[in-house]
Amino acid sequence: MLMDPALGRVIERCRDGDRDAFEEVVDRYGLQLLRTARLILRDQALAEDAIQETFVKAWQRIGSLREEDPGPWLTRIAMNESISSYRRRHRFQALTERFGRLGGGKHEVSSEARLDLAHALDQLHPDQRAAVALHYYQDLSVEETARALKVPVDTMKSRLKTALRRLRQLTGSEEITP
Amino acid sequence: MSDKFEKNLRDHLHHEAEEIREFPRQLRGRIREGITPRARPRMAPQLALAGALVLVAFAVLVARNPQVIIKDVPSAIKQILQPSPTPTPQPFTCADRSGGTSGLAAQLTAIRTAHHAETPGFDRIVFDFSDGIPSYDLTRQVTSAFVKDASGQPVTLDGSAGIKLVFRNASVQGVADDQKPRLTAVREIAQLGNFEGVLSYGVGLSSSQCVRVLELTGPSRLVVDVTTSASASTSPAPTPLPTTPSATDLTPFACQDLAGGSSNGPAMRLTQVRVAHQAAGYDRIVFEFAAPAGVTPYLPTYTVSRQASAKFVKDPSGQDVTLRGSSGLRIALHGASGADSYTGSRDITPGLPVLQELEQLGDFEAVLSWGAGLGRPSCIRTLELSNPTRLVVDIQTP
Repeated sequence: MLMDPALGRVIERCRDGDRDAFEEVVDRYGLQLLRTARLILRDQALAEDAIQETFVKAWQRIGSLREEDPGPWLTRIAMNESISSYRRRHRFQALTERFGRLGGGKHEVSSEARLDLAHALDQLHPDQRAAVALHYYQDLSVEETARALKVPVDTMKSRLKTALRRLRQLTGSEEITP
Repeated sequence: MSDKFEKNLRDHLHHEAEEIREFPRQLRGRIREGITPRARPRMAPQLALAGALVLVAFAVLVARNPQVIIKDVPSAIKQILQPSPTPTPQPFTCADRSGGTSGLAAQLTAIRTAHHAETPGFDRIVFDFSDGIPSYDLTRQVTSAFVKDASGQPVTLDGSAGIKLVFRNASVQGVADDQKPRLTAVREIAQLGNFEGVLSYGVGLSSSQCVRVLELTGPSRLVVDVTTSASASTSPAPTPLPTTPSATDLTPFACQDLAGGSSNGPAMRLTQVRVAHQAAGYDRIVFEFAAPAGVTPYLPTYTVSRQASAKFVKDPSGQDVTLRGSSGLRIALHGASGADSYTGSRDITPGLPVLQELEQLGDFEAVLSWGAGLGRPSCIRTLELSNPTRLVVDIQTP
């Protein structure tokens, strides 16, 4: 996607080291990126840290942004930061989850333990939540979501399908059979 | 495949996301800090060494020639402490200005005003700072109406035009929130905000005038001179104040239905639909088209109709559809289709300041229509762009 001319001028000023121009970029994309990061990380403070890191990295790499819309570029950085942040801070939790799976096999969700969507989203793997957030919140196509998360399109299709199945299972929603 | 569960999921995600109503100011400050270069601590030992060498050299000099203390040092000190002379007057310009030192934290200690009668006549506002001049933006505006930071409350100052000054990393002490010097040009100066290190002031002017800005040291002060006569502002030739929110040559917003484009030719192929908020004060929708092979590109005839609800009728099914928001726009293009060319989402919920949802209403017999759900009734403008062919619909935001 090409940049619109006004935005192109702002990016040019950023490349020249104009920090005020970069604040225009923050104003334009910051809120949606923060909301998306919050959906993935499930924590406001972590999301803010991830977005701060996103924009600082974007500033450092602004020279690498060519004649493309900065939106997808910033989204890629933000997704990377969000998922990395989650992994860094939840290593221990991830380990316990892995041992839990090895010992107990796949969890079955009883009808009494059905969760609402917010809690069900908490249970997803961050990669799945990122896919769900981009596809269903940012309304990116499957192809765009795959690009943002740097995975093949088929992998993304499968990831979305798995995430959706898991959410249905956790919330007790009936799955539509094709 | 889209079913009720997916719709619920989408709604839930939007609801959850919109719990964050605005981008936190303190996060903006953290980002600003993160991109501002810092002084290297490694320099400290080097500076100490340099200082020590200077002291040794000075001691040697004094031991050899004590007269230097009596004669030269007082004059040197006087020279250092003397306020910097006012530089050669610069011309007045009719443009916004930015300056100061990024990342520098400073305290505003006084705001002084005075009228200078010499030719060209001008009113001077002096902002005194304790530790250098922080990063600032000066923006001229055609009214004396401002919006207070944080509260969002409107405030109208004395006069018919204005200047807004925003200082970053700045605090204030002992300065009145509202001054009414009632000079020829400068009528009132009021604090608009002081929050999270962003300090802003509005200046009410008797009429739209050009300005010059001087950054002076010893003590640190930012001087804003406002011309009091039209003749004073002719060097260089004044440029008119912007009447539209963007720096580009844009048509003004209109609170009415709009139409344009040109008829004739095979249907143009919709390839992309983009939405974004522009900091200049509008949400933008872009419909991008490609011409079929062998056809000269053209923008199809279009109408943009405003309506008082976000309820639309789908074409050709006749089904009702209610989008997010309380009012709407119906954008209809005659001689366009996206059936074989558009692969993006046909129901976009960007959650922009005004544009809440954009959904395709119909694509039938080369009539392509989209509905936009708006959070409030808004004025609009359209732009017709080429290479590639685009219809741009801008929706004014508060």
